[in-house]
Amino acid sequence: MVSDSKEKLLIDVGSTYFKVSTAATIEQHLRDFNKDILDDLRSKCGEIISRFEKDDVHICSSANGGLSTLIIGVTNSFSLKYATNIAFNSGINIIDTILYQDIEVYSLPSDLIDVVIIVGGVDTHAELFSEGLYNYLAQLNYSNLVFAGSAQDAAQIEENLENVVVLPNIVDDRLHIVEEHLKDYLTNLYQQDIEGKEDIKHLYDITANQIFSTPYIVNRALPMIAARFSVANPFILLDIGGATTDIHYSKDLVDDNIVTENEYDRLVFKRLGVYKSKQSLILAAQDNEFVYELLMHLKVTENIFEEQSEKATKILMQLAIFLVLCKISHYKKTYINLKLLAINSIVLTGGITKVLTVEEIEMIIAFFYKKILTSDHNPVTILDSNYDIWTLGAMGNQSCQ
Amino acid sequence: MKVVTGVVGNDIHVVANRLIDLSLQARGYEVFNLGVNTHLEEFFDAAVETGAEVLMISSLNGEAEGWGREVKLLKAKYKNLDDLIMMIGGNLVVGSGNTEDIVARYKKYGFDLVCHQVDLNTGLDLLQDLLEERCKS
Repeated sequence: MVSDSKEKLLIDVGSTYFKVSTAATIEQHLRDFNKDILDDLRSKCGEIISRFEKDDVHICSSANGGLSTLIIGVTNSFSLKYATNIAFNSGINIIDTILYQDIEVYSLPSDLIDVVIIVGGVDTHAELFSEGLYNYLAQLNYSNLVFAGSAQDAAQIEENLENVVVLPNIVDDRLHIVEEHLKDYLTNLYQQDIEGKEDIKHLYDITANQIFSTPYIVNRALPMIAARFSVANPFILLDIGGATTDIHYSKDLVDDNIVTENEYDRLVFKRLGVYKSKQSLILAAQDNEFVYELLMHLKVTENIFEEQSEKATKILMQLAIFLVLCKISHYKKTYINLKLLAINSIVLTGGITKVLTVEEIEMIIAFFYKKILTSDHNPVTILDSNYDIWTLGAMGNQSCQ
Repeated sequence: MKVVTGVVGNDIHVVANRLIDLSLQARGYEVFNLGVNTHLEEFFDAAVETGAEVLMISSLNGEAEGWGREVKLLKAKYKNLDDLIMMIGGNLVVGSGNTEDIVARYKKYGFDLVCHQVDLNTGLDLLQDLLEERCKS
């Protein structure tokens, strides 16, 4: 259905702030954690909310920080690689990947896993899994189990594993990736997780529309980004917030043989934020050999980690930029290695835009390129300080509903 | 019978690869073609994913020489590939060499069937013979 011309109210609920946008204004408020989100919203923006019908209110949230997954597959080059790609692009955090033939030697994660994914084999192959899998899963603590491997193995898997969801194979008969079914399943699971949070459920009192995850909404905006910014392609977008850091990038920045229809991918780093995930960010920083040099460059010492000040928040934001760039480079590569020397723009959105200036960000980017990539490459920094990207994505999304 | 095939290493001889694919299909094999520029690990991984009985590597520019040395070591990491028939064909060395020496060298690398500068149909006949022999035993 094409959208009508009625004014819309857009709300983004983050882990630290919420943003409320109308055609005329955009407001940002620090969340009151002693209150339910809806009560907090009503107390701070009650007048605005009351002006809109439920049909005209669109909400997204990243407050829960995403789901965790463990992937079991039969090879690194195909099933595991494809499932990892699909999970990352569905906003899921990967706890570990297990090569099935060696499953006995893997230790059991102690945390509850939101979803375990089992993949492997083309549909003409059978009996890829046996007792080893069932024994391992019997000891594992998980909420959801999904099988997206050989169709011939589905019946045996269903027989041996309770409550397993069986999906079409992610590997086709030419050994190519088929991402739609698993991606839809994981995206819906993420969606249900958001909606299942008590606080978020209450938000349906003010909206009649589906509540989406914020990374999904931001990702939707990327093909339209030129409408609001002078962004030189190729670019990456960093959304650094209180609990997570998301990175969005165009596919041409990746050297890989996975061919999909989506133009832009995204990664969500669950424990890299400056408020709710502050401690894990500090741990990641302390684990990085260049961070102490960076702190010196910023004229502070490690003691800044103990401080509660505006200056300390700024330093943490700057560290978050450096750490996320490390994670997508050959140094400390987490999942992908982007062609960072090829990018012409780095766009920043999220809470970071309210804390750092362009100069403070450029200083970190220059440090990263010099120290990690030994280059004087200097992509243009663009600050989305008015949350235009989120608005663009949210407006684009509601026009599709 | 399933066959995984492809061109190993940094080698883009796609025409030969396509001809192998078509010839195998014409002889009734189920072919999983990994194409050109394929890493050795991908060949073995494809055999695991597909349950292939034959791994047929082609090399046209001598690239196989370097990769061949890794075959035994890498294959040993896989737990269920002991019965996989390993075949290699094409132009297997840079420059020229004695065919007997070349075949012996590649067999030492872990290949069951080595076809250095042998035409495609002859090579596929040799594969057929080997499969029949294995069947009998």
